[in-house]
Amino acid sequence: MTDIAHAPAVTHSHHAPPARPTGIHRFTAPGWWRALWTTPLVGFAVIGLTCLIRWAAHWDPVWYSVPLVTVATVGFPMGFLIGIGAFDYWAYYYSGRPTRPEDHSGHGARRWQDYFRPNTDHKVIGVQYLVTTMAFFVIGGFLAMLFRAELARPGDQYFNPQTFNVLISNHAAIMIFAVVVPVFAGLGNFVIPLMIGAADMAFPRLNALSYWLLPIGGVLMLVGMITPGGGPSAGWTCYAPLCSHQPLGQVFFNMGVQWAGASSIVTALNFLVTIITMRAPGMTFWRMPLLVWANFATSTLVVLATPFIAGSQFFVMFDRVMHTNFFETALGGYALGYQHIFWFYSHPAVYIMILPGFGIISEVVSVMSRKPIFGYRLMALSLLAILVLGFSVWAHHMFVAGMASWLRVPMMVTTLLIAVPTGIKVFSWVATVWNGKIHFTTPMLWAVGFIAVFTIGGLSGLYLGSVPIDIHASDTYFIVAHIHYVLFGGSIFTVMAGIYYWFPKMTGRMYDERLGKLHFWLTFITFNLTFFPQHYIGLQGMPRRVADYAGRFADFNLFISIASFGLGASTVIFLYNMIHSWRYGEIAEANPWHALTLEWQVSSPPPIFNFDEIPQVVGGPYEYGVPGARHAILSGAAVSEPVPSGGH
Amino acid sequence: MPRRVSYVQLVVIGLVAGAIAACVAYFVPWMPTPASRQAGRIDFVYWYATIMCLVIFAVVAAILIYSIINFRAAPGDWSDGPPIHGNTTLEVIWTLVPAVLVTSLSIVSAIVLAKNGHAGTNPLVVKVTAQQFAWQFTYPNRKTYGVLRLPVNRTVKLEITSNDVLHSFWVPEFGQKQDAVPGQVNALDITPDRVNDAKRPYYPVICTELCGLGHALMRSKAIVMTQAAYTTWYRGSTQPAPAPGGGGGTPASVIFTQNGCGACHTFKPIPGATGKVGPDLDTIGPTAQKAGQSLLAYIKQSIVDPNAFITPGYQPGVMPGTFGSTIPKNQIDALSAYIASHQS
Repeated sequence: MTDIAHAPAVTHSHHAPPARPTGIHRFTAPGWWRALWTTPLVGFAVIGLTCLIRWAAHWDPVWYSVPLVTVATVGFPMGFLIGIGAFDYWAYYYSGRPTRPEDHSGHGARRWQDYFRPNTDHKVIGVQYLVTTMAFFVIGGFLAMLFRAELARPGDQYFNPQTFNVLISNHAAIMIFAVVVPVFAGLGNFVIPLMIGAADMAFPRLNALSYWLLPIGGVLMLVGMITPGGGPSAGWTCYAPLCSHQPLGQVFFNMGVQWAGASSIVTALNFLVTIITMRAPGMTFWRMPLLVWANFATSTLVVLATPFIAGSQFFVMFDRVMHTNFFETALGGYALGYQHIFWFYSHPAVYIMILPGFGIISEVVSVMSRKPIFGYRLMALSLLAILVLGFSVWAHHMFVAGMASWLRVPMMVTTLLIAVPTGIKVFSWVATVWNGKIHFTTPMLWAVGFIAVFTIGGLSGLYLGSVPIDIHASDTYFIVAHIHYVLFGGSIFTVMAGIYYWFPKMTGRMYDERLGKLHFWLTFITFNLTFFPQHYIGLQGMPRRVADYAGRFADFNLFISIASFGLGASTVIFLYNMIHSWRYGEIAEANPWHALTLEWQVSSPPPIFNFDEIPQVVGGPYEYGVPGARHAILSGAAVSEPVPSGGH
Repeated sequence: MPRRVSYVQLVVIGLVAGAIAACVAYFVPWMPTPASRQAGRIDFVYWYATIMCLVIFAVVAAILIYSIINFRAAPGDWSDGPPIHGNTTLEVIWTLVPAVLVTSLSIVSAIVLAKNGHAGTNPLVVKVTAQQFAWQFTYPNRKTYGVLRLPVNRTVKLEITSNDVLHSFWVPEFGQKQDAVPGQVNALDITPDRVNDAKRPYYPVICTELCGLGHALMRSKAIVMTQAAYTTWYRGSTQPAPAPGGGGGTPASVIFTQNGCGACHTFKPIPGATGKVGPDLDTIGPTAQKAGQSLLAYIKQSIVDPNAFITPGYQPGVMPGTFGSTIPKNQIDALSAYIASHQS
């Protein structure tokens, strides 16, 4: 397997990895061997402390699963993080001991093992995120295959209602928290420092930690599914009061969300500081590529909004573990309060899940059409408009919830208004493609497919923005159709575009173009066959989150299920292409797409510290066709300039 | 090499795309046939939005398809295209026109919302109580039923609440939906304008908020009658005759229906009790024997402590364990006696 980052030709002990520890030191040096004992140590210590407190306070029974499992979901992961060394440097620093000289041994990947420990190289972290999120994508998709098999016919065939509710709840939870939200952290991690001409992120160690928080969150959710007594089965939205009365597995969901949320917040902080302070000289905000703009807007959303979902889950946990009554109406609680707090994050969350994708599409469409992005400034401003407006629309998820009736009208107005900046983006992409010289490579297929499918998803959102229509369509399969058109046809299509586009940069090899195209077409066709009919059955009367349904929807559900199996199969092609090409693909050149942005001006894969010399940015990143225009001047004679049009 | 744009081709593609989309929008019966005034108004907003979406879709499709056909680069030609950075006029247009369009949709929707929330003078008030996993409808004469009967052309104001977790009341043909929230009462206005008949004997009442294990089965019926038929029904006594040993005045069969037992259990004496989530209540004898209890004792235990003994083939943690506290003791006794005395 090609190294992602290779050491420069001149070697000195500064960059050589230290000798691997032997003997007893294997268990004291940071790594998986140490984690083997620190994980249970801290985990059981925390449980023990809790038992001690319960015993001293005469809370019976002392050994009660709910509070003990709750603290365990904090203790065991903390022990793991301590063991693998995520906190080592800070521990030395804060304890006043002399810090170890920085030998960059935790930076860059020379062997496959380097991917399995905290690594400070943003390129390695990017790959760690991508592989992890794609693994959860397969798992979450597999859960969907299971419940689509159940839904193929009315009645209960394979799963009882509890298991069915666990399957649908965790399909969504894993896809949202462990796939779509973090996958953009992965792509962004790899590309952003390169795109802005930086050697790495502002906080590389924090970056390393932020990655490891993600598999913890994902694994907790998976463990929750198989907990004896029952898994989380209140939907990914986990509405109170149902959520506080769920089986034990629900605790894993509540806490898994916290870990995944922490990962998201820490990454966003890093992105924000990096983008604000570490752009190469000459790269003003108005010379930033739109991917950087998009991640800037997204990271702002993340840091402002994610604490609210943390809060909502904490309140549910308090109700359950400490018997508070935030949402227990019989004892003075306010059931709708959960929904307001939850959706105050979860609506911006959907923008968190799409804005980076918008950035990716802007990159791909511009490069593959050989034209500047149409209306660059308005494209950047529309990202900011979506960011701001995105905070004012949350109650459109609550039009039938029973909140104050008048509140629905302003929420409707802001919801419908968000269509304006979103529309600006779609029109601008289409105008970029217009009159271009289009290369229908795999990334471009995904980008064009995205525009087509996301337009449909966005238009179905217009329907849902109108309160009277939403009153009819809410909580039905129309919503399920809308969700998947914007999150699969939207976000995941942009992720595929990004992965294929940057694959040569990340791996140094080219993916198989024919398999890539086959993957796209199979996905595009089966995706539409699976989800378009769901608009119809929803409006006609099929509610969501049901294993059983009226007989007249039987044929539709059978068709949808079969189409969904095709959709699942298309992922196999993707996985094969990625794995096979990473190992055996054609060696890629530095700039196979002839793009102007900075990441393409270094080798594939890039040098360990990205640039031999910090580039000097002298122009915009999309100046295709402009004679004499340059984006940046790099060390030596390398220049980032467009190929003049009108040639050969 | 400059390219000439064939505007004829562009317009033709747009018209074809728009026509196909319009056929899909018009010939597929997306919305259910409205059976209430409110649904009729919702249909209007739906069509208003649809026409807007068809136009936008046709424009985007036309430009995209035209580009895909006509602007492909020659293979291997990575030279740049024309350096077009934008067009201020176009950008102003595609900002302002959608803004105006969505604002108009807001206004139309707000008007319909106000009309659909207007109960008018003298609505029929029916209290709707949702609980896991059944609906109860209480009329002004304080009688409670499991089925919602309504007079045509008269507005009913449903006052919806829940006894436990969130549920949601929806009848697709009426268009209107509202969550049932514990601790508060939410109002919903419906003016049915289509009477049920033999061809269409009822409209389904569907729970649309995940409420637990019986969510998919939490259904009831809305039956719209002529004014005369409704009045006859309302005035007449349509309660089932009291079963022997009725619990404090409430017939045991009504206790059975009120608590939603039929959503999960099959029980022949109660028509509509066809649930398959839990064991069949017609033949409990063998299970009581396995549990080592008398029939009556076993039934009573199963209601107040469902997890004490699980019928083979079924799962624990499915039946709500709260009936012991939500159903009065004398009603539990009456219900148990009723079930015990109606074994087949």
